Amino acid sequence: MRSYEYLKPTSLKEALELLGRYGEKAKLVAGGTDLMVQWKKKIISPEYVISLRNVPELSFVTYESDLKIGSATTHRTLELSPIIREHFPILLDAVSNLGSVQVRNSATIGGNICNAAPSADTAPPLLALDAVAHIAGPQGERTMPIAEFFKGPSRTALASGEIVTHFSIPRPSPNTGMAYWKHTRRKAMDLPILGVAVLLSFGQDGKTCAKARISLGVAAPTPMRARKAEAYLEGKEVDRGALDEAGKIAAGEASPRTTIRGSQWYREEMIRVLVRRTGLMCIERAKGAAHG
Amino acid sequence: MAEQFVGKSHPRFDAEKVTGKARFINDIKAPRMLYGKILYSKRPHARITHIDTSKAERLQGVRAVLTGFNTPDVRVGFLGDQIALKRDKVRQFRDEVAAVAAINEEIAEEALELIRVEYEDLPAVFDPIEAMKEGAPLIHEVDARGKPRRNNILPLPWKLEAGDVQKGRSESAFVVKDTFRTTWVHQVCMGTSGCIAEFDVNNNLQFISVTNVPFGGKDRLDMFLRNLGIRGSTRILTPYVGGSFGSKLDTDIYEFIAVLLAWKTKCPVKILFDRLEEFTASPPRQPIIGTVEQGCDKDGRLTFRVVEMILDNGAYTSWGATTPSVMMVPISTLYRVPNISFRATCVYTNNIYAQAMRGYGNPQATYVVEQSMDQLAVEAGIDPIEFRLINANEPNETSPMGLKITTCPMKECLEEVKTRLDWKKKQGKHDGHGVGVACFLHVGGGARVYRSDAQGLILKVDDEGKVTAITGGTDQGQGSETIIRQMVAEATGFRPQDVNIFQGDTEICPWDVGTHASRHAFMVGHAILMAGAQVRAKLLAMASTWMGQLISRNLQKKARQDPDFKIPDVDLSLLSNPENLDISNGQIFLKSDPDNKLLRLPVAQIVRSAHMVGTGRGEMIVAEAFYDPPNEMLNAEGKGNLSCCYTFGAHGVEVQVDQETGQVTILNYVAAHDVGRAINPMLVKGQIYGATIMGAGYGLTEEMQVNAGRVMNPNLLDYKLLTAKDKIPIDPVIVEPIEPSGPFGLKGIGEPACVPAAPAIANAVADAIGVRIKDLPLSPEKVLAAIKGKGR
Repeated sequence: MRSYEYLKPTSLKEALELLGRYGEKAKLVAGGTDLMVQWKKKIISPEYVISLRNVPELSFVTYESDLKIGSATTHRTLELSPIIREHFPILLDAVSNLGSVQVRNSATIGGNICNAAPSADTAPPLLALDAVAHIAGPQGERTMPIAEFFKGPSRTALASGEIVTHFSIPRPSPNTGMAYWKHTRRKAMDLPILGVAVLLSFGQDGKTCAKARISLGVAAPTPMRARKAEAYLEGKEVDRGALDEAGKIAAGEASPRTTIRGSQWYREEMIRVLVRRTGLMCIERAKGAAHG
Repeated sequence: MAEQFVGKSHPRFDAEKVTGKARFINDIKAPRMLYGKILYSKRPHARITHIDTSKAERLQGVRAVLTGFNTPDVRVGFLGDQIALKRDKVRQFRDEVAAVAAINEEIAEEALELIRVEYEDLPAVFDPIEAMKEGAPLIHEVDARGKPRRNNILPLPWKLEAGDVQKGRSESAFVVKDTFRTTWVHQVCMGTSGCIAEFDVNNNLQFISVTNVPFGGKDRLDMFLRNLGIRGSTRILTPYVGGSFGSKLDTDIYEFIAVLLAWKTKCPVKILFDRLEEFTASPPRQPIIGTVEQGCDKDGRLTFRVVEMILDNGAYTSWGATTPSVMMVPISTLYRVPNISFRATCVYTNNIYAQAMRGYGNPQATYVVEQSMDQLAVEAGIDPIEFRLINANEPNETSPMGLKITTCPMKECLEEVKTRLDWKKKQGKHDGHGVGVACFLHVGGGARVYRSDAQGLILKVDDEGKVTAITGGTDQGQGSETIIRQMVAEATGFRPQDVNIFQGDTEICPWDVGTHASRHAFMVGHAILMAGAQVRAKLLAMASTWMGQLISRNLQKKARQDPDFKIPDVDLSLLSNPENLDISNGQIFLKSDPDNKLLRLPVAQIVRSAHMVGTGRGEMIVAEAFYDPPNEMLNAEGKGNLSCCYTFGAHGVEVQVDQETGQVTILNYVAAHDVGRAINPMLVKGQIYGATIMGAGYGLTEEMQVNAGRVMNPNLLDYKLLTAKDKIPIDPVIVEPIEPSGPFGLKGIGEPACVPAAPAIANAVADAIGVRIKDLPLSPEKVLAAIKGKGR
């Protein structure tokens, strides 16, 4: 690792200024859990490292008209947040199974998203939740649905000099069940072979699916929504059979690869199985939410 | 007198490891120390046509750049089949092509990037079966002596024949034959490889090493120095070591390179591997292709067993190529089989080469044999546990290999598995839920792989009443620092906290063959009994000289200080006969009056008096022992009583297989182990837990993915070690038959639990899904593919 300068802005404004000044020579670091790996592997070798750890505007969780999560909020903070625990079990599933407690103490949700790995654990839940990324940059602020954010492996829609400040997530309607399933070889310190997030909102009858979201990690070059499978479920009474079919459709929409972590056929097979299983979890959770 | 310290779960003495105070190789720095880094090959098989190091040499802070072209041509390794820095060609991706010493690691790394190596590719071969074929690319054109080689088969024809296999076959009612494969797995020590080499002005080498064979390492480095023309000798120092599991048995190439760099620069040179390097450039356990055929008569009695093993040796030879000597143990002796044929062929390929790993060939051999046992049980229509009970080893029998079994509670271990798993209810359902069993035997009382299997020990008593045990053995985390104290305390009459241990310095410590083959507790225990008896005798003799006058003086002093004190009427003459005395808790007392405080003295006072005699002849207490056990080297036929005793056990596993995802969950795990006697039950359980989890990783998740010679997953994310969260509900059952050949009745327990785990799990998965998977590990993909392919 060559020598570098470590910069510690204390406000978003200052961070943006530094990023503007050093441009391509600089890298933002929040938790550092992805950055350090790339740095050690010499995939990157920044001359300036701009830390977002001391920028208070980037670390918060609020739930009023909608849920807002600051980009530098750690996974551990989210895991312990009563708001997340009570209202967003899909996020809890994701943030509580990433790495280890030590990693979660450091790793941030903004880092997880901006690293843009196909395996990012928080990406499928944010897709299922219709999250919006709020971005600050030299031209001011802009917003972007998370579904438009990922452009390829390690590539995002962020322009030069931009920083994701927070994510906003609309309040789910009543009778909603949501879950994320991370399929792994072991129970900690692992990346998903496949990640499946499902969100199902039911109508007043409690049976008809008013809104379905199915999103997948490691199923394509970017985290993706299985829109055909979602459309198939919407307007239907969702049961095991319907979810089975949705799983098959989702597997058809996906384009997983064979890597050292899993082969294509297995990932396709798991999409079929896990969309159904995660969907069934949503039905259970929706019941619980309705009664609770 | 009942034993005071042996057999108790004494807490460990090396608590400084969890405080961060323990000094590992990572923590050690020497003045003027340089950092060495190694450039590895970018090709699996190629001629080196040119190396340009000029840019690296010019980089500020670089002190030396070495290649095969500017270092002497000195062969190293078990078969002398390589030189430290490769010159003619590279034969694997981990081949060391150049090395740099620089004032810090960053500069050393930068220098590596400036070295240009030009290669001319050669055809490569990665499959041992392909490599054996005529016309396969030759990995080595000549052997260590320069004699041309005709093929890639190593000149190590492992072979064992006993009885009459043909006769056995003709007596069989049922016969099964199948082929199984295992893969590369890594020892993954918490502490990575590293060393510091430094020459003094007399050209003697001081070598700080993580070896667990200090004297063997010294021999190899001394020979290396001689061959380099350096007239000095080596002193090896070992700091705390973060695990070995076999990986630190041989002197590795980076160690020779550190010596070359230190010699060149005349500065101390440290080489420390990072995790990537540890995975790609340190030798793991090799894969095998094992074909096993065995039969039984109509009553289920084994009639014969034929095993052929092909070992992927990789490009060079280390101890991995000698593991068939231990494979012979289970192949010939696991269960009673009268007729045996075993053959192993080690084959050079362009893959990474292999070392020893916990179990030393036994995990692969037991994996093969125990799956075949289940297949044969099915064929014969006998329950797998009953089938094993019919064939179980018994105490006091000699196996076809010539292993003399002493104590053997194999049946007891099988019964424990049967009861604790509720076997009868669960076996044979094929509904996703299954149970499996595998037994093992392993050397429990050393293994005579050299002409000596000895350990030297010195015990020294100081005038503070402390005993120092100076031992040639090493500790790499197994807990010997605790059990040595327990056993020394027991043997000498001190307390464990009065015992200090000095080890890890070949200049001072007495000779030892190495801490391998689960032998340390056995050998050091015997040496402790031998030296401890001398210490006791010397102390009691010394006490008989001094105690009378010391006590008399004490009494008179007390009487002077306390007018009310009346000197009691005691017969101090009894104290002058050593036979009347005994020692316990560091105090010497009269056997006939052990509770009399007036007639009892701490050892410290006696030893101090013997040291400080004024004019005259003082005495000190030092005792030595060199214990070499009565085991035998294998003869030319591969036969002989390799160990003083053998340890047995059975692992039983209950699994749930997710039939849609192929994931295997272990619901229950019984690990029943014959340990002879547990010196420290807590540490024995620790060994059983740790080795079982290592074995379960072998069975379920661990695999170095080697693709065309390259390790594809050289990191802890993609090499799937089981984590704390994957904990397996292990029920360790300690069976203690009290081994007569063992010190305090013990047998070795370092390796055994790693041996039967994978086959037990494989058998349980086969029971759960009704189809057998024949290669490791049992990944969800393989399990699901097997389920989907069932009946096809």
